[in-house]
Amino acid sequence: MSESAIKEVFISEAKEIIEKLESDLVQLEENEGDQEIVNRIFRSFHTLKGSSGIVGLTSIYNFSHKLENLLDRVRSGDIAVDNSLIDLILGSIDWIRDELFTEKADTDESKSAMNALQQRILEYTGEEKAVEAGEEEETGRAKPKAGVYNYFRIKARFADDVFETGIDPLMIIEDLLTVGTLLTKNVDREQLPALDAMNPERCYLSWDLIIKTLEPVDKINDVFMFVRDRNSITIEDVTASFSGRGRELPQEKRIGEILLEKGIISEAELDAVLKYHDSHKTKIGDIIVKKGLASEKDVKDALEEQEKLKKKIELNTVRVDTNRLDNILNLLGEIVIGQSSLNRIADELDDDKDTGFQLKNALYGLDRITREFQEQIMSIRMIPIGPSFEQFRRFVRDSAHERGKDIKLVIEGGDTELDKTVIEKISDPLKHMIRNAIDHGIEVPEEREAAGKAAAGLVTLRAYHQEGNVFIEVLDDGRGVNLAKVRSRAVERGLLKEDEEASRERLLSYLFHPGFSTADRVDDLSGRGVGMDVVKTNIEELRGTVELKSEEGKGTTIRIKLPLTLAIIDGMLVSIGRNIYIIPLLSIVESMQPKQEDVKTVEGKGEMISFRGEFVSLARLYDLFEIDARHKNPWEGLVIVVESANTRIGLLVDDLLGQQQIVIKSLDNYITRSRSISGAAILGDGKVALIVDIHGLVEDIMDINSAR
Amino acid sequence: MNTTEPVEARDLGQAGEDEQYVTFFIKNEIYGVPVMKVQEIIGMTKITAMPNSLPFMKGVIDLRGAVVPVIDLRLKFEMEQAEYNSFTVIIIVEVKDRLVGMIVDSVSDVLSIPVHSIQETPSFSAKINTEYMQGIGQKDDTLVIILDVDRILTTAEFEIINEDHDGE
Repeated sequence: MSESAIKEVFISEAKEIIEKLESDLVQLEENEGDQEIVNRIFRSFHTLKGSSGIVGLTSIYNFSHKLENLLDRVRSGDIAVDNSLIDLILGSIDWIRDELFTEKADTDESKSAMNALQQRILEYTGEEKAVEAGEEEETGRAKPKAGVYNYFRIKARFADDVFETGIDPLMIIEDLLTVGTLLTKNVDREQLPALDAMNPERCYLSWDLIIKTLEPVDKINDVFMFVRDRNSITIEDVTASFSGRGRELPQEKRIGEILLEKGIISEAELDAVLKYHDSHKTKIGDIIVKKGLASEKDVKDALEEQEKLKKKIELNTVRVDTNRLDNILNLLGEIVIGQSSLNRIADELDDDKDTGFQLKNALYGLDRITREFQEQIMSIRMIPIGPSFEQFRRFVRDSAHERGKDIKLVIEGGDTELDKTVIEKISDPLKHMIRNAIDHGIEVPEEREAAGKAAAGLVTLRAYHQEGNVFIEVLDDGRGVNLAKVRSRAVERGLLKEDEEASRERLLSYLFHPGFSTADRVDDLSGRGVGMDVVKTNIEELRGTVELKSEEGKGTTIRIKLPLTLAIIDGMLVSIGRNIYIIPLLSIVESMQPKQEDVKTVEGKGEMISFRGEFVSLARLYDLFEIDARHKNPWEGLVIVVESANTRIGLLVDDLLGQQQIVIKSLDNYITRSRSISGAAILGDGKVALIVDIHGLVEDIMDINSAR
Repeated sequence: MNTTEPVEARDLGQAGEDEQYVTFFIKNEIYGVPVMKVQEIIGMTKITAMPNSLPFMKGVIDLRGAVVPVIDLRLKFEMEQAEYNSFTVIIIVEVKDRLVGMIVDSVSDVLSIPVHSIQETPSFSAKINTEYMQGIGQKDDTLVIILDVDRILTTAEFEIINEDHDGE
């Protein structure tokens, strides 16, 4: 990997870490005592520090080191978690983010910002600035008496493939030097092969180090936190041989420490065990059990805990550029097209002849495999939505504070998976909706209490799968949309006549009207709508739909429905005259041939068809698309009943040609202004068929009707 | 529109050099587009019509797996439409990483035109759309109207957006 490639990996990794950190911090604020979260935050900073060191970003390295110290104190309970601490850490994250992703890096502004933050960190940790250069004050939980040095012997035997895990032993050692002073070092060169046999990507060296420090053993352990699993690291407290007094529990004997903490064994007992251990070199756990100090189960539990602390992270993953996945998907699209042209040839062959039958069978098998193939690739592109939900925690916290509101963000269904591109594209619309919920939905605490609600408002992000679609909901328990105000606003804008009746749905739909929203921010219409038209457009680009429900005083729910994948759909091919159109199978309710008496007209023009006891309006596609059709009477052609956002309409077509997997090719927006066409597909015979966008079609029809 | 800058300064290189152009006929006029912009030339093929589009947007075609929009240059230049015949071709040009097909009466030749002989688009007394023109080139006695293909597309986009607004 080239240096820039490494940096790229680091940047994308850092982005994830920062997002996770923000979410963790906000959660910590809500659950102050949660040790698990503190540990997670600590580890995140540790990783950030290590990686930034590897790519040579020293300012971030040093800065995160200080944060790590601060968090260590939090972890040990020396420093209590409060709002200002969270603010400080969040501010620090902002600095790191600016440093990594913006132009601000390395400017004077950023330096002074860093100094200010560092000063605040130091105020917390109580360290003086001068300490940095020399020995740091003790910060750990075991608290050796001030001024008393501990001595540790560290045997570091790194696995020869250690570089592959992104760890540079030298960084670790340098890290170690920030904890204490190196007394002796011994480099074991035994494994070093002859020059011609040497693989530069392997690590052949081992180190024996003795360091002098004011820190307890935990500090040393932390340095090696991420390398312990895969590499053999032993840390031995050799204070006794240096100062004549040994009291610290050596790290290797940590299992004893765990049992001690749990109160299962006493300190005196442990000392005895340790003495025995020193002379016999058997496993501590075994000794404890043998001596009957603790049950086997206790020891096992302790061992498990020890294991947990190590936090094994399996590195069985590969990072792949999404462009490559897109390429594979495009190629698969070509295969699907090729396959359908083979299918067409097979259809023309005589079934009675062996070859025709065999070909069809073989194609059948191939079809199954490509479908499976497609699902597999899709599943690679699928990622859980959780992380992108989590990133809003910070956003909700900050914006709620700004507005003097108390808002909790609840996340449900974070493990719901959807296409990566979809996730990237809904991030902005989601932010918009959440901002709306915070600005206009949730009331200030006093108002909420007056209305008999809890002072803290709830904004819920929820994701789930249903019927081949993904649903994402943004809910709030705020004041809801004031329909009367929407109404007067609609009348004002000439969308509605003064005395016109309008259903609830219709009124709510005005919130998606372009321009409707921006204006109402000024007069502070109590509902939603700031930029909801943008949200809608964005979602529709993903072939999704948006739905808004609201109950005055109780809250608002916005529901987004999205397709699982973007590139390939199941479509029904229909013919109209000499043209072929594709209707997405998911939108189709049923197809039928109505009887003449089932077709009614309203006011002599609007046509309705009786369908299972209800009337659906009829759309003559040939009319809309301005083409010729063979059948102009619904009882001669076929009517396909389709559904979009609770609206059903019947589409008049000539014939059904069969269903097929369709690779969607998008069309540039200058090609047509029709919303009824969402894209095109290439059929087996090289013809291009247009894909009907049912949602857009319904809208186009409504526009035509309202224009009449 | 007279936003046209001196041609040499734009993208035609230094004086003394030749630039190659694919030339084609519309009516009896000869037009040219820089050879680097042309991906290929194909014969007339089945075009899938688009509903609700501008008159010159004839529809889309399949170009080996890609869906490519096709515009009729005669209609774009507001000339009368001609019957498509065996001479009619679609010139596939690449504009901003996207492919667009242009229907023209027939294809002529690839001409090397000395850069210095290309004049700025003159102002015509008659009402003529000069916005798609890059300049007028001369080769021997032939006059070649050099088209700015980027512009043909951007104006197409512009028009449809404008119409949308007019419609509201």
